[in-house]
Amino acid sequence: MNSPIKNIVESLIFVSQEPLTLERIQAVLEGVPAADIQAAVDELVADTATDGRGVQVVHVGGGWLFSTKPAFDREIRRLLQIERKNRLSSAGLETLAAIAYRQPVTQAEISGIRGVDSTSSLKTLLEKSLIKIVGRKKAPGSPLVYRTSDEFLLYLGLNSLDELPSEEEIAKILQEEKAADA
Amino acid sequence: MTEGAAIPLEPTPDVPPCAETPEGYQVRLDVFEGPLDLLLFLIRKKKIDIHDIPIAAITRDYLDYLDHKTKINLDREAEFLFVAALLIYIKSQMLLPRETDLAEHEDPRLVLVNRLLEYQKIKAACSLLREREDGQILQWKRNFIPSLHGESELEPVELSLFDLAESFFLMMKRRSADETRVIRGRDVSIEVKMKELVGLLRERHMIDFLEYFEANASLEEALVSFFCILELVKSRVAVAVQDELFQTIRVWLRKDAHRMDHHE
Repeated sequence: MNSPIKNIVESLIFVSQEPLTLERIQAVLEGVPAADIQAAVDELVADTATDGRGVQVVHVGGGWLFSTKPAFDREIRRLLQIERKNRLSSAGLETLAAIAYRQPVTQAEISGIRGVDSTSSLKTLLEKSLIKIVGRKKAPGSPLVYRTSDEFLLYLGLNSLDELPSEEEIAKILQEEKAADA
Repeated sequence: MTEGAAIPLEPTPDVPPCAETPEGYQVRLDVFEGPLDLLLFLIRKKKIDIHDIPIAAITRDYLDYLDHKTKINLDREAEFLFVAALLIYIKSQMLLPRETDLAEHEDPRLVLVNRLLEYQKIKAACSLLREREDGQILQWKRNFIPSLHGESELEPVELSLFDLAESFFLMMKRRSADETRVIRGRDVSIEVKMKELVGLLRERHMIDFLEYFEANASLEEALVSFFCILELVKSRVAVAVQDELFQTIRVWLRKDAHRMDHHE
């Protein structure tokens, strides 16, 4: 192999439209030890994170992907003629959070947590592919069961559900709120 | 996370969030995501310990909010009233005389407290997730980038067999209105037609569904072609795409389906 692994890996990530996992890179580069690939990817991430670049390699969704630097969002939107990217509504985000933390979960359970009917939020989240239906619960009426999707991880820049804000982080937020009130 | 709710009434903390609107005096219940959000807001405002809620006081405050509301949205109203009923139920449970002191797990407020604590956690998680969303939304990744071709402004929809069938009947209707006389022609077999179709798809890459049918000489032939296309779509050899409802349907071979031995 003449060219350094790093350059090959960079080209693989470039053509990949979804997060390119270590396993897939390994399958392409037969015989190259995982540690070498990992080192090459780490180097790529570090290289592209510097100010001299417009795009960067990011670790997201369990793999690596090219993404643009946040600073150039305005110019990109001008190119694509997109006025603005819509954020989720607060109802949508709340529903998504309830699913993320309590999955697998049914509509009734989500609505119970929120105290509000969540049917329409679920529909929006399904349309955005941020959640998916994974089956039916063995309960009266066999309600549909929801989970977050791979797109959800990408959307929030997470690698796995383990990277969701932890109990401690949440407790910290609550404590800060309490302190602000006092 | 009641920040959003707290902002509009910071100057007058003792007055319920309300505003003069064109429709009159209206409580801004809409700033709350739901009844639990409102309850959390009240608890926070009164600096109440969530584990020791004075149910009578909080119920009064809560009902005050509902009373000031003029605009009625039944679905939302029901959710708010449900929690009001729950509060009153809890109070009634607490008033009932008991022989012994309540053990902690028997506190009738526990059901509500647990719900509030869980909801509070979700709200706090939301503020963290929102931060992430705000950061991520500025980073364009390849899978989210729409292509630059003008054509893609119309998002093609992959069709179901039913859509195809509907188009076919539309087409047949159009045909019958044409006053064409049917001349009994040669028999057309599915095998022959299938080969012809696949050949055509390979050659032209894409065929216009309606155009193709119009070119068919007889009803039988059109019917057979239609079955062939259904079969090709069903066996995932071809894709049928319609840009917009009532427009023509374009059919092309799937890129990953060049192995069509069973059709040849």
